[in-house]
Amino acid sequence: MEALIEAALRLAAPLLLAALGELVIERAGLIDIGIEGTMLTGAFAGFVVAVASGSALAGVAAAACAGVAVGGLFAAFTVLGRVDQIVVGTAVNLLALGATGAGSRALYGGAPPSAPTLGPVAQGLLGELPWLGALLFSQTAFLHVGLLLTLAIGFGLARTLPGLRLRAVGESARAADAEGVSVPAVRILAVLIGSSLAGVGGAALSLAQSDSFTEGMTAGRGFIALAIVIFGRWSSLGVLLASLFFGFVSALQFRLQARGSGIPYPVFLMFPYLVTLAVLALATGRARAPADLGRPYAREGA
Amino acid sequence: MSEALLALLSGSVGSLAAWTATLRETAPLLVTGLAVALAFRGGVWNIGAEGQLLAGALCATVVATRLCVGAPALVLVPAVALAGALGGALFGGLAGVLRATRGVSEVISTILLNFVASCLVALAIHGPLQEVARAYPKSDPFPAAAMLPAFGRVHAGLLVALVLAFGLQGLVFRTPFGFRLRAVGLAPTAARFAGISPERIALSTLALSGALAGLAGAFEVAGVTGQLYEGLSAGTGYTAIAVALLARLQPLWVIPSALLFGALEAGAAAMQREAGVPAVVTQVVQGAVILLAVGLSIGKRRGPRLLGRALPEDA
Amino acid sequence: MPRVLRARLQGISKAFVPGVPVLDGVSLDVAEGEVLALLGENGAGKSTLMNVLSGLVKPDAGVLELAGEPVDLAHWGPRAAQGHGVGMVHQQSALVPALTVAENLRFGDPAAGLWFRPRAERRVAAALSRRFELEVPVDRRVEELSPGQRQRAEILRALGRGARLLILDEPTAVLTPNEATALFGAVRRLRGAGCAVIFISHKLGEVEAVADRVTILRRGRVVASVAARELDAHELGRLMLGRDLPPLARRAAAPRVATPQPALAIRGLSTAGASEASRLRGLDLEVFGAEIVGLVGIDGNGQRELEEVLAGVRRPSAGEVVVAGRRVALHPRALRRAGLAHLSGDRESAGLVRGMTLAQNFILKGSWDDRRFFRHGRIDHAAAWRATRAAALRFGIVPPDPERDISSLSGGNAQKLAVARELDGDPLVLVAVNPTRGLDVGSARFVHEQLLARRAAGGAVLLISTELDEVIALADRLVALVRGELRATPPGADRAAIGAILLGGGGA
Repeated sequence: MEALIEAALRLAAPLLLAALGELVIERAGLIDIGIEGTMLTGAFAGFVVAVASGSALAGVAAAACAGVAVGGLFAAFTVLGRVDQIVVGTAVNLLALGATGAGSRALYGGAPPSAPTLGPVAQGLLGELPWLGALLFSQTAFLHVGLLLTLAIGFGLARTLPGLRLRAVGESARAADAEGVSVPAVRILAVLIGSSLAGVGGAALSLAQSDSFTEGMTAGRGFIALAIVIFGRWSSLGVLLASLFFGFVSALQFRLQARGSGIPYPVFLMFPYLVTLAVLALATGRARAPADLGRPYAREGA
Repeated sequence: MSEALLALLSGSVGSLAAWTATLRETAPLLVTGLAVALAFRGGVWNIGAEGQLLAGALCATVVATRLCVGAPALVLVPAVALAGALGGALFGGLAGVLRATRGVSEVISTILLNFVASCLVALAIHGPLQEVARAYPKSDPFPAAAMLPAFGRVHAGLLVALVLAFGLQGLVFRTPFGFRLRAVGLAPTAARFAGISPERIALSTLALSGALAGLAGAFEVAGVTGQLYEGLSAGTGYTAIAVALLARLQPLWVIPSALLFGALEAGAAAMQREAGVPAVVTQVVQGAVILLAVGLSIGKRRGPRLLGRALPEDA
Repeated sequence: MPRVLRARLQGISKAFVPGVPVLDGVSLDVAEGEVLALLGENGAGKSTLMNVLSGLVKPDAGVLELAGEPVDLAHWGPRAAQGHGVGMVHQQSALVPALTVAENLRFGDPAAGLWFRPRAERRVAAALSRRFELEVPVDRRVEELSPGQRQRAEILRALGRGARLLILDEPTAVLTPNEATALFGAVRRLRGAGCAVIFISHKLGEVEAVADRVTILRRGRVVASVAARELDAHELGRLMLGRDLPPLARRAAAPRVATPQPALAIRGLSTAGASEASRLRGLDLEVFGAEIVGLVGIDGNGQRELEEVLAGVRRPSAGEVVVAGRRVALHPRALRRAGLAHLSGDRESAGLVRGMTLAQNFILKGSWDDRRFFRHGRIDHAAAWRATRAAALRFGIVPPDPERDISSLSGGNAQKLAVARELDGDPLVLVAVNPTRGLDVGSARFVHEQLLARRAAGGAVLLISTELDEVIALADRLVALVRGELRATPPGADRAAIGAILLGGGGA
């Protein structure tokens, strides 16, 4: 059981980071389905820099920067150009897939090396503690950062002025504009921050969960992050719980597969998606989404 | 660089073999491109062409390898195609029902269904649909009677796709249904006042779009591969979005657009073989094409179309 | 007592679409400790003028002075206006519905620090509420509040930012009589404290209750600017409506065919509404052939709900619609088949499809059963082209090209197409909603003539409009829609008198 929970937490970390990033973006009123490509780019950039520099931390920093770059591209088209967010997100995914795949081949041929990874947060005595040791201290910093960010984002949205303004922009861009808040500035900043988090989430894949980069390694985790945000009702705590749920399901799937139960492996693979669909279908509070989500804003008549 | 471009060109249009490869790649892109163009015209974001294609391939495989095994080609080929269309329609329709009845955004539901579809395929070929020899995770090869007629290595699916393109052009621009679909895609509120139900249109559009994608899946297994295995479709459903946007959502223009992307795919394989440039670079081109296509429309969006209205809401 | 000017606008002009000015050389001023009422019909330019003052709109020409100092209009915006002590309370609430009152009060405050402490903010908001005697529950989300509470919250926000000039845009449009009285009390207190208040209104009662001075706008120009006590109701009405409107062609004496039943009968119609004031409450109305029934009222009193029911896109909670003696299912196609045509009040998003051609818009509503254009599962483009071309020529649409995208047409021409479409098929009943909104004088005149022609041909017309002027000119009978209920007006009353009655003299 302990091992199961440990695995669940480990698998949840990348999802949590990406979902928190998407949460920030969506609370500001934009839907970024390119979060998948952003995560992938972060995984790749982090890997490359970590291998080249020998430092996993440098890789993480690079992943964050890569996220910002991708976010900048997305924001340029959607906030400044006011183009359909779904279309731009799709383009971002394709670009990321192609660029990282081509980059990986170009740099490493077909065989990417092992990267220095981020180890567990605490070794030695702390790691030996029963329960707490396995659960918390054997996890990488990615999970801890994710947990801290959950608190920080939740706190930030509710109790800081910038957070308040972000929520205002996402709920009613017109009202925010009338109060003198710069809607484009807030949205661009939200996209940059959220995308950098997604980039770091990608690094959690190539620098912790595994130690290498494979083409398309995000395998839809970015899309799961989208579902997590909806599932978690656009709150940071909800996102955390939903991420843990998905992590748990993944861990269960590996465990049962290893145990050789009668249930075929793909059924487990399907489970998170089916559950998400079910939750989306049954959930009644559709009004919980930020009211201006997905709508480009332009001040009329100025 | 020029070596790569040369390889790209020769691999796509430089020889008969190259053209064959191009046309083979074009067929699924054409049909799924039509599927996406249709959906987008109706104001429905179908990102699930990938999953609908797989669902269609799955159903086609069930029919070809398990259900009608002994039937003659005259029955089997249409049955396989029909099964493919039905499978895709089911998947598309499911997303449509979720949207029409529960208001679930089709963006997320179609994406999720993509994963469900690939899992179902994996489930099938590891289990009930697995080949008799049980050696590899793939289905039995299709009986010859189930395979699409072909000219050399180019299967008849391409011809059907061309016919479909013309048919869809007619459907969208010449029939009452297409008229209503376009109205909803352009102005759902005005359509509602005209008595058109945006919810119903979303449902039928998704089902129809899914059917087309499913048909593409059937063509893949019954025309190209001859059997079902994992990794059947390498992102065709997503490429189809680029195809549709480049064609400005016009069914007839999807033909040259799909041809272009098909050539890109075929040439990319050659480029990788001969010049060492990874084929996955085509994705970059696809993404860039989408951004270009929408970027050009940015200029047109500036300046609110006020229809001559002199005043904002109230004076 | 000498007037110390708080704000002065001089020669303000603005045109959103070139050649169609919304404001034309408007000058206005208001002093400290003074309440100015800004009157005018819809389309007169009042909201735009106030948007200039509050920084949402940049004028094309003119000067703005606040507290005696001219303002740099190149850098004018909502923040700058707030900084100069201008606070605006919009007609459509500019609060963020999902946020609480306390959050709304604070989020746009440029002087706010980094942190938002809910409890402390609640205390501050409550103190503000007490200080200005405006009762608002500060920890509830705005979406849970009544319109009156929302308004008070917005006023509180402006005052909390140090507004010395408060602009209220049609504040009582959505208030109950009690709330309105409370509002006037608050306005008087503010005046006593030295605040300047500008009050946009339609209603005479409010002018009498609280205004010191009155400025009247008509078609983007100031027509009067006087002390309130120097005017009476008739005078106000006359000034607002004006006498320079070119007279419509004399109404032909319509042959009143004695019909046994009304062409359109609405019985006991009740609906939910966007707001408390716009809920329909058991409406009864009859419109006979060869007559125009005019339904007037201020926006937000149920017109939209009524329009949606008659168009078939809103299901009422009670009541029925009867056309030519037969009860009709409330669905667009059924209504159309029964002979009821609907000319939408919102042609841009609800009446016409932008991106489609004139011809396509002309045939838009007939895709199921109009055999002329939709036959054998195909569209007869040639027939559509011919019909649209004929209609375009008959109605003077320029250019008369059925293949043109309708969004390239001017408002007047687009509306002509909508009119042509609705009159095509010779409907028994035409429901026309705000048919001349945003139209130039020539196009508006054309539409009016079409309505009269309909009447002359024996058709029934229900004209729902916020333009008192046009309803008075066209209607045989005039009914007022106030807070979801109908009020009759006495027959034979002259223009100014009806205007005065409608301006609220009859009580809320």
